[in-house]
Amino acid sequence: MAIEIRQATGLDLPEIMKLEIASFANDAWPEETFHSELDAPHTYYILALEGEELVGYAGLSKLAGSDQADIQTIAVREDKRGLGIGRKLMDALTLEAKNRDAKEIFLEVRADNSVAQKLYKVFGFKQIGTRKKYYQPDGVDAFIMKTDLIGKEKAELVVLGIETSCDETGVGIVRGNQLLANIISSSMDKHAIFGGVVPEIAARAHLEALTPVLNEALEKANLTLDEIDAIAVTNGPGLAGALMVGVGAAKALSVATGKPIYAVNHLVGHVGADILDRGELHTPTIALLVSGGHTSLLLVRDLLNDVVLLGETIDDAAGEAFDKVSRVLGLSYPGGPEIDRVAKDANPAAIRFPRGLTLPKDMEKHRYDFSFSGLKTAVARHVELAESKGEEISIGDVAASFREAVVDVLIKKAISACKDFDVPRLLLGGGVVANSRLREVAKAQCEANGIELRIPPFSLCTDNGAMIAAIGAQLIMAGRAPSSLNFSAESTLPVTIVQS
Amino acid sequence: MKSPAASTRIAEYALAIDTSAGTTVSVLSMGAVLAELNYLEPMTHSERIGSAIEKVLKDSGIQAKQIATVVVGVGPGPFTGLRVGMAAARYFAFGAKAQLVGVCSLDSIALDFYLANPEQSSLLVTTDARRKEVFWATYSSVVDGVPVRTHGPAVNKFEDIQTLVDVSTMAITELGVRAGALGQIAFAQGLTPQGTNSDITPIYLREPDAVPSKGKKVSG
Repeated sequence: MAIEIRQATGLDLPEIMKLEIASFANDAWPEETFHSELDAPHTYYILALEGEELVGYAGLSKLAGSDQADIQTIAVREDKRGLGIGRKLMDALTLEAKNRDAKEIFLEVRADNSVAQKLYKVFGFKQIGTRKKYYQPDGVDAFIMKTDLIGKEKAELVVLGIETSCDETGVGIVRGNQLLANIISSSMDKHAIFGGVVPEIAARAHLEALTPVLNEALEKANLTLDEIDAIAVTNGPGLAGALMVGVGAAKALSVATGKPIYAVNHLVGHVGADILDRGELHTPTIALLVSGGHTSLLLVRDLLNDVVLLGETIDDAAGEAFDKVSRVLGLSYPGGPEIDRVAKDANPAAIRFPRGLTLPKDMEKHRYDFSFSGLKTAVARHVELAESKGEEISIGDVAASFREAVVDVLIKKAISACKDFDVPRLLLGGGVVANSRLREVAKAQCEANGIELRIPPFSLCTDNGAMIAAIGAQLIMAGRAPSSLNFSAESTLPVTIVQS
Repeated sequence: MKSPAASTRIAEYALAIDTSAGTTVSVLSMGAVLAELNYLEPMTHSERIGSAIEKVLKDSGIQAKQIATVVVGVGPGPFTGLRVGMAAARYFAFGAKAQLVGVCSLDSIALDFYLANPEQSSLLVTTDARRKEVFWATYSSVVDGVPVRTHGPAVNKFEDIQTLVDVSTMAITELGVRAGALGQIAFAQGLTPQGTNSDITPIYLREPDAVPSKGKKVSG
């Protein structure tokens, strides 16, 4: 269930005290102390709620006229730890500290609480001292930690994003939520004679395109490299050899310029693309990402803290199926636009091709998963059978019927995810959203079900560096520390890891 | 990728990078190695490259913006690893506003060999090309600090090299690629009338593995 953050009031005290005693045992504050803290004008206490249930709380103190804020406490219920609730609370406190014009935030943490220390480090806190035996009666030391909020307003920071996960070399530049440049060089033409992306060809093309694309992006944004504040790079999922080109380049650029680097998840990047289109991301949303490499259905409650993979293809990606069927029909690569072209005005109901993983027995295990391999084979068999009988086939009807089967499954599963999770929003991403029928059916089905449909412009739907820069900017605005220089390219990076 | 050779003279501080085998990086001043790092593992280039450059700068006490030349080993070497260093070199040079020059990775092995064996004349250098083949080149000597290549670079089965070149009198070395040696070669080249080799095209020597689509027939 979604986590909500709201400000605490005196009425919440009994519930807070239960969690306080459970969390801190010997160090728990007395109820009177907590009550006066909640009432004080210089404090800000917030709750994390799952439905009606209190699962965490945190508090900040900031005296008027002072540049310093202090994090007074933070607690997450034991069975809800590791779910990003601590991060959400920290996000909210950091934002409030900024709103109250703090320039730095201090906190104390038990020396033996390494989990909490790790969370604080993520938010840029560094240990600046120790208070001996601060926690009594246990006699445990306190580490004093501090983070700086000084500097340019974080929402105004300029981030350069680098994307090389498949066959598009992308460099994009954003300022906060605003798109400044989005330059893409595709090696698609070089793969055409092979009927699909050849990883080695894609990787070679990335190396050649890196510098021209970076130059062009800076030119488009009318910025010099010195005016960039941070670098973001896709480190997965994607083709390993292709990812490594971007990762190697981005790390070297970071060292050469001294700018911080953020390693970003490619799929989360696709969701973040909508920020650049409308200036913000509305959550929760279901996201359907369909390309030559991915077919994934995501539930996004919070872009940085709560992205869940509901399902994905168990064999071919949808774009791959378009390419393969295009080949069967003697059409060229990439298959999507070709199928779209010949299917125009043809009969999508001419042949009833199978809808993968939609039978009741499959739906039990694979409610949100996809399969297109059987469909591709069914199309090939249909064509071969007709040929062996010497029958003329209508390529248009086969293409239209195949396309209908793909679109039908994609949109049905996406809509049912919206309904199942009571999420009135659907976001499309990935190169296959260029498909006219997919857009048409998505629009009709969303309208019929009262779901808001978001389709960013195509240059933001296909793989691009701007969406990666957008995630980098979000991470910075949330106060996240940069990635260490040692992260790796992860071809199967799970969607739950937004930043490596 | 060629830029006018005459314009490239290696300036005081240089960073050399090579990932054609392991990961090796070095900072040099006028051709003298100030610091060098060599990681031999053949699979960790993209993890290592950032912190390796950062460390070698720190060890040498040189700041990134002081680097005026980036020397990169252009292979030959296994492609995926080779590209990491070449990509890093391109963006480091961009970021530090440095010139970028390329040197054949095998040349660094030849330089190290001749420095240790100045009396030897001809040399065969080989490195692992996987698939039971080697990348190789032959050399006759070092002139003005630059190894003189007589054949290659090429890729063949080791036993087939003798059918192409008479290797009977040649020394064979087990040495590995070293970034410091690449930097020294680039510096020496910059002092010769020919100027530095500014070609930064990777030496792949093999086409990508892919078969053009025959179309049709995907069932069965």
